[in-house]
Amino acid sequence: MAYRHFEFIEKHVWTLGILTAIMVSIGGLAEITPLFIEANKVQPAEGVKPYDPLRLAGRDVYVREGCYLCHSQMIRALRFETERYGHYSTASESVYDRPFQWGSKRTGPDLARVGGKYSDLWQRLHLMNPRQVVPQSNMPGYPWLSLALIDGKDIQKRMEVLRFLGDPYTDADIKAAPKAVAGKTEMDALVAYLQGLGIDNEPQKPAAAPAAPASDGGAP
Amino acid sequence: MSNGWSLWVMFLVVLNMGITLFLFLWAPRAKIPILPDGTSGHVWAHGVLREGVHNLPLWWILFSAAMFVVGITYLVLYPGFGNHKGYLGWTSHGQLARETASNDARLDAAFQRFDKYSIEQLAGDREALAMGEVLFRDNCAACHGRDAHGNTLLGAPNLADNDWLYGGDGKAILTSILDGRHGAMPAWGPQFGDAGVANLANYVLSLSDAPHDATKAIAGKALFTVCAACHGPEGKGNPALGAPNLTDTIWLYGGDLESVETSIRDGRSGNMPTWRARLGENDARVIAAYVYSLSHGDPTDTK
Repeated sequence: MAYRHFEFIEKHVWTLGILTAIMVSIGGLAEITPLFIEANKVQPAEGVKPYDPLRLAGRDVYVREGCYLCHSQMIRALRFETERYGHYSTASESVYDRPFQWGSKRTGPDLARVGGKYSDLWQRLHLMNPRQVVPQSNMPGYPWLSLALIDGKDIQKRMEVLRFLGDPYTDADIKAAPKAVAGKTEMDALVAYLQGLGIDNEPQKPAAAPAAPASDGGAP
Repeated sequence: MSNGWSLWVMFLVVLNMGITLFLFLWAPRAKIPILPDGTSGHVWAHGVLREGVHNLPLWWILFSAAMFVVGITYLVLYPGFGNHKGYLGWTSHGQLARETASNDARLDAAFQRFDKYSIEQLAGDREALAMGEVLFRDNCAACHGRDAHGNTLLGAPNLADNDWLYGGDGKAILTSILDGRHGAMPAWGPQFGDAGVANLANYVLSLSDAPHDATKAIAGKALFTVCAACHGPEGKGNPALGAPNLTDTIWLYGGDLESVETSIRDGRSGNMPTWRARLGENDARVIAAYVYSLSHGDPTDTK
């Protein structure tokens, strides 16, 4: 290569632009592509099952109302997070989340393991008007959720699509869906979804060992 | 990562490093044709701006060289170069485990000392109370409130008074925290009807001398035999079941006629979640001590 080649690049904006794009994309190609292509190899963690119809409906309400804008579902492997929220999240826990709800911003707390932390009644009162239970809260209320009923047929369709994408729903599961959500409101569904977050899939801590071994903390 | 993808990452890293290193080594040596006026001949703004030709400053060259050294050293020591794990063996999970262990060790001394005390004694220990207060605010305040005065919408009891649903000694409080409690008041509406519920509610209010309709209360008295199974014949409650005392002025779900009627008609289902898995015994004990201290003045005064 000689100087004239660089002079050519410098003086031809399209050549410069394309070569710049190639150089910039190297980082992404190295960091994103392998994990993206290998994502389908992630197996569900023990206890992680596809959402039952009511929780699936609740999950869609969660997405629709934009809960992810203020709440993450991603406990990072940092002590101040694991102390507060529990064991760090693993990819194998969100294999049935389409799209995942990891989020990227916390105005409110992380919800990855909020299931069972509060009673159903608390969740309900909190969603109707958060200040009923937490006077300092700046979260908006979602009272309309208690007025809207879940459409069983619609949930069946969603389950069929998810099955098409690879979630192991059986015919019986899908057939039983309308009955499972009959008469349930979006509020019921969202509460069921929240109460299921992280309960069944929390990786168990080593039994009663106060000093965890200073090795790898259980790589997923 | 499979070997194929590992090689892919290595290839891209080498490619990127190679190109930048080549430019770094070659550029200062490149032969740039210089025009008689001392510029490269590149012009902007119709010749108003012209590009001079100068050597790169030494600080820039040294700084760039340092960047290569840092980058390559990083890839040798830390994960990043394909599947190469780095000679330091560092992982984020390993770091978490180390930090957790060192924090646990820091707290261990305190917890070992706390272990020797009962909850009641612990409630007189400043260090335990300080820890308990922080944990209470993080975990308990959402229902019981920051001041621990409870929430009648939820039926979350006031923890700062001397009235206890399941007993107020240290052991009972600790059990409530670790294993949770489930208060189940059945719905009596279908059995008693609206009139029955109203009569019964007035009778219940009469037990604590609250404003009530005396005739209805007398009519409701007979129905109370059913309630006596849990709340006792005199309505004084039963801590074994968590049945509240109905003769005092403390109300879990509100003490006005309407609230009491709702409690009788629709029932109530109080749910204190179990905290054993979330908190562990050590944390639960200091929280229990803090809760105990709330209704026992400031025990640290005496110590």
